[in-house]
Amino acid sequence: MKAVYTFSLMTLHMLFRRRTLWGILLVILLALAGIASVPSFDVSNQGRFILDFGLFGIELGSLLLALGLAANLYPRDKETRTLMPLVAVPLSRWQYLLGRFFGAAIVQAAALLVTCLGLMLILLFHKLPVPGDLLPATLLIIVEGWFLLSTVFFFSFFASPPLNWPLTTMLFIVSQMSVSEFTGLLPSAPGLMRVLRMILPHADVFHIKDPIAHGFSIEPVYFLIAVFYGLCYSAFMLSLALAVFRGRDLK
Amino acid sequence: MTDMHPIQVTELSKQFPRKKRLGSVHAVSDISFNVKHGEIVGFIGHNGAGKTTTIKCILGLLKPSEGSISLWGKAPADSRVRKRLGYVPENPDYDNSFTPMEYMNMFASMRGLAGTQNDWKKLLGRVGLARWETTGIKQFSKGMKQRMSLAIALQSNPDLLVLDEPTGGLDPIARKEFREIILEENARGASVFLSSHILSDVETICHRAVILAGGRLVAENSMEKLLGEENLYRITVISRKDGKEVEEVIPEADLQTRIDSLRRDNIRIVRVEAAIKSLEEVFLTATGGGESQ
Repeated sequence: MKAVYTFSLMTLHMLFRRRTLWGILLVILLALAGIASVPSFDVSNQGRFILDFGLFGIELGSLLLALGLAANLYPRDKETRTLMPLVAVPLSRWQYLLGRFFGAAIVQAAALLVTCLGLMLILLFHKLPVPGDLLPATLLIIVEGWFLLSTVFFFSFFASPPLNWPLTTMLFIVSQMSVSEFTGLLPSAPGLMRVLRMILPHADVFHIKDPIAHGFSIEPVYFLIAVFYGLCYSAFMLSLALAVFRGRDLK
Repeated sequence: MTDMHPIQVTELSKQFPRKKRLGSVHAVSDISFNVKHGEIVGFIGHNGAGKTTTIKCILGLLKPSEGSISLWGKAPADSRVRKRLGYVPENPDYDNSFTPMEYMNMFASMRGLAGTQNDWKKLLGRVGLARWETTGIKQFSKGMKQRMSLAIALQSNPDLLVLDEPTGGLDPIARKEFREIILEENARGASVFLSSHILSDVETICHRAVILAGGRLVAENSMEKLLGEENLYRITVISRKDGKEVEEVIPEADLQTRIDSLRRDNIRIVRVEAAIKSLEEVFLTATGGGESQ
């Protein structure tokens, strides 16, 4: 595991030195600041408005970060031929995949925690209370981000970055849909659509922004089950990614 | 015991599918050769002959379509085998945001090597990057990246060095330094598999050569046998018929008899010289005049 650990650190250093991370982080923080400056005409409580849209912004940020950080990692390694010396000698393919994934996952988590901190500061700046469940809500978004990251890795082994973006975004949208919304996409085959929806990821389990915005507390058991589900799905996507990567000829 | 050779390639074929399902391209077809312990084997062929494909199969980067490859009798993906291997890729590249020293540390850590900063500093010095350890790789030329690649390959004191066009972007002095390092490594006990376009390099340092043309093995032998099994001499005489120079190549054992016979017949001998074939001549003959695919 030392090879994976070292390669994760290498990936982490590399991503921190790239402008992509800082660009996306800046966009998310500016979006959060923008949300806070929008008057909540229809919402009676300004705090609830900022919290609701702020967490939604962080969630979209996790998608942006997953795509921005990982969509180009493998294609770039292959194109610049930095992959060959790595996979030929010190790393096996699973070590390469896990190293890149963990490095990107740590960077993504750190960036999302910064956005959570940004949201807290915005609430404090507006003299609004910071709910205790804001951090668990962000942690669930981080787990969702890891799932998205593993999805991006999976697609990156057979799709170019411009194709990876719409594919991952599509899965992200589908994963938010309820069963009735999903079966509505193909009403002629409700049975098939129901089975498909069951297999496809349920990212809605990571969204606790509504209960938080309305002042409800989150049960620790729910939180733990959601984290477990997210980690299992991420592991499943990484296994698929590895299966594809193992079958690839590195020309 | 053949299975225990550092490299054993047996009836290797590799095909790549063409785009739009138009059949497949045969990159290499049915090639077999080996690299024995302590040998330096040159791997030569024109562009597109299948050298890099073969090397990538040896390293497990490509899966053979047919045939098999073993390194010390084990599959190329075996972690025990990879620990004994050093690889210099063709046109190596590295992430520009790091320095050579950072790369040396990371690769050492990934391979579980026990060296210190000082060891890596010495190694970088050995390949000619003494004052560049902490300079960003983005400032490096192609040749410097090749030097760095060699330093990384040498980090583990490998038992087998696989070098894919390692001197392609280097000037003559750097090429000489590379050759010396390869010979030093060989003297230490490492086997070397060297793919190169620079035939003089192969001729100078290799014990054996494998020649590839159009994805097929066209010649394989020790350097002595490829360049001439015995000492041959070329006698140039003036032809009686048209007065033009005519050459004749004969073995050393028959040289004196032939000269005596020519003198007896009053045939004018212009010169007698050692007939040494160059690897280039051997290569051009074996590959049909260097015809590319």
